[in-house]
Amino acid sequence: MISVKNLTKRYNSSQGDIEAISGINLKVAAGEIFGIIGPSGAGKSTLIRTLNLLEKPTKGEIIIDNTELTSLSAALLRKERQKIAMIFQHFNLLSSRTVRGNVSFPLEIAGIAKKERKQRVKRLIELVGLSDRADHYPAQLSGGQKQRVGIARALANDPQVLLSDEATSSLDPESTKSILKLLSRIRDELNLTIILITHEMEVIKEVCDRVAVIEAGKIIEEGTVLEIFSKPKKPLTKKFIKSVIDFELPPRVAEYLSDSQHKPGILLRVSFLGENTHQPLISYLVKKFDIDANILYGNIDEIQRVPFGTLVIDLEGKKEKLSASIQFLQEQGLQVEVLEGESIT
Amino acid sequence: MNQLLNFLFRYNQLILEGLQETMYMVGLSLLFAVLLGVPLGVITTITREDNIFPNKAINNLLNGVINIGRSIPFIILLVAVIPFTRMIVGTSIGTTAAVVPLALAAIPFMGRIVDNALLEIDQGVIESAEAMGATPWQIVYKVLLPEALPAIILGITLTAISLVSYSAMAGAVGGGGLGDIAIRYGYQRFKLGIMIETIIILVVVVQLIQWAGNKLANSFDHRN
Repeated sequence: MISVKNLTKRYNSSQGDIEAISGINLKVAAGEIFGIIGPSGAGKSTLIRTLNLLEKPTKGEIIIDNTELTSLSAALLRKERQKIAMIFQHFNLLSSRTVRGNVSFPLEIAGIAKKERKQRVKRLIELVGLSDRADHYPAQLSGGQKQRVGIARALANDPQVLLSDEATSSLDPESTKSILKLLSRIRDELNLTIILITHEMEVIKEVCDRVAVIEAGKIIEEGTVLEIFSKPKKPLTKKFIKSVIDFELPPRVAEYLSDSQHKPGILLRVSFLGENTHQPLISYLVKKFDIDANILYGNIDEIQRVPFGTLVIDLEGKKEKLSASIQFLQEQGLQVEVLEGESIT
Repeated sequence: MNQLLNFLFRYNQLILEGLQETMYMVGLSLLFAVLLGVPLGVITTITREDNIFPNKAINNLLNGVINIGRSIPFIILLVAVIPFTRMIVGTSIGTTAAVVPLALAAIPFMGRIVDNALLEIDQGVIESAEAMGATPWQIVYKVLLPEALPAIILGITLTAISLVSYSAMAGAVGGGGLGDIAIRYGYQRFKLGIMIETIIILVVVVQLIQWAGNKLANSFDHRN
């Protein structure tokens, strides 16, 4: 659906040229929600704004639905842009128009006849659940409601692609959740391809299928959200993941461990992904190897309906049993890390 | 009491005529100021670098026109354009003739006000229209003008009030109006009463224009 080749944007400034993005390559399939995450200044905003040529790239190709955008004339580009919708962090609604008027705006641009426009506007406002606010002005709406108007407006001309430029970054957590839900619902209903940029890993975890991590204008890591969460490679990626899934032991557990009263055993961190969570692994471990297991800390989350989590367990028992337990856990496809204890493995 | 009223209204007819002349001059020149000043301001804004229709040459030209127009003192403009006035109106004397210099002074004034009003619009709103595939012309009449409408209405109000003040000088070319009466009767013939009366009327007129302008601007303002 979307293919980006060697995309580069260079700005001339008094301190010399600055490359906001350099040599970006991306492929996004139809119906996919693709997230781009990066710290501020990494170039993610430039990247998404280049995709519909709000920023002219210095070099590179952007192919959306088999059309190469950078070589289009101004008139053809405008036509193409009607199929590439965009939503914004600050909503960018017309303050002089009501909800209805704002949703009608892109249809007027596309030259849709008045009668059909009215029907479509009504349907779109219903789709985003704002029928009772249709005659309100943006200033009378909450942030979440404004973004709903932004989404209805974006969908007006039946786009194939939706670009989301930090669309939830100025919303409270509750509105963020409901907007993300709406995005994934319209993706399912309309088979929309969505590219979103964000600096919040929560957003990626919540709705994205695949994710790219961008740092200093380059994509440093890319994969399905599950892959990235379970096996992050780059420090920046790990840092982002840490913001939503805490791998650190809470102080309470750390204190308990440093306590001299604490009997020597081994302390394991077990990470699991997917199916395994349905099996009673720990109780099986205890029975089979005749050891004691004490769960000190646990964290289970879901990424795209796949359970994903970490357990910190304290095992006590005979040495050979302990090492056999570790081996058993590894055989089950779990990632095991020995945090404390004699060198057993 | 009757005597007082009689005294006050001795010059009624004269003042009424003056008021009509003032209204005529201000109204007509304001009309031209809006008709030509709004496009002037719009084109100046959109031809700016990084706006929707960048064109350095046009932008420099229009900026120059606005700045020069705004820097000529009105009393000088009034006499300087006499040949031009004669060309358009056929005469350089009278109320209609005074409209030409008034309009010429008000057009660049209005142009700058519109330019400033349009620059106040959130860049993101314009960008979102561009992202939807709007043409520059669609952006002008569907985004820029409606979004800036309250500010433009206040600008028109400001221009109207400036024109009331400028029109007082129109007496220099036989334009008449309240200001002219104040000078000829009140100042040159020492009739202080007339002077005060015309000033009171002018104050009331200005108040009314400002009140109506505010009211209208508010009714179009949905920003909060």
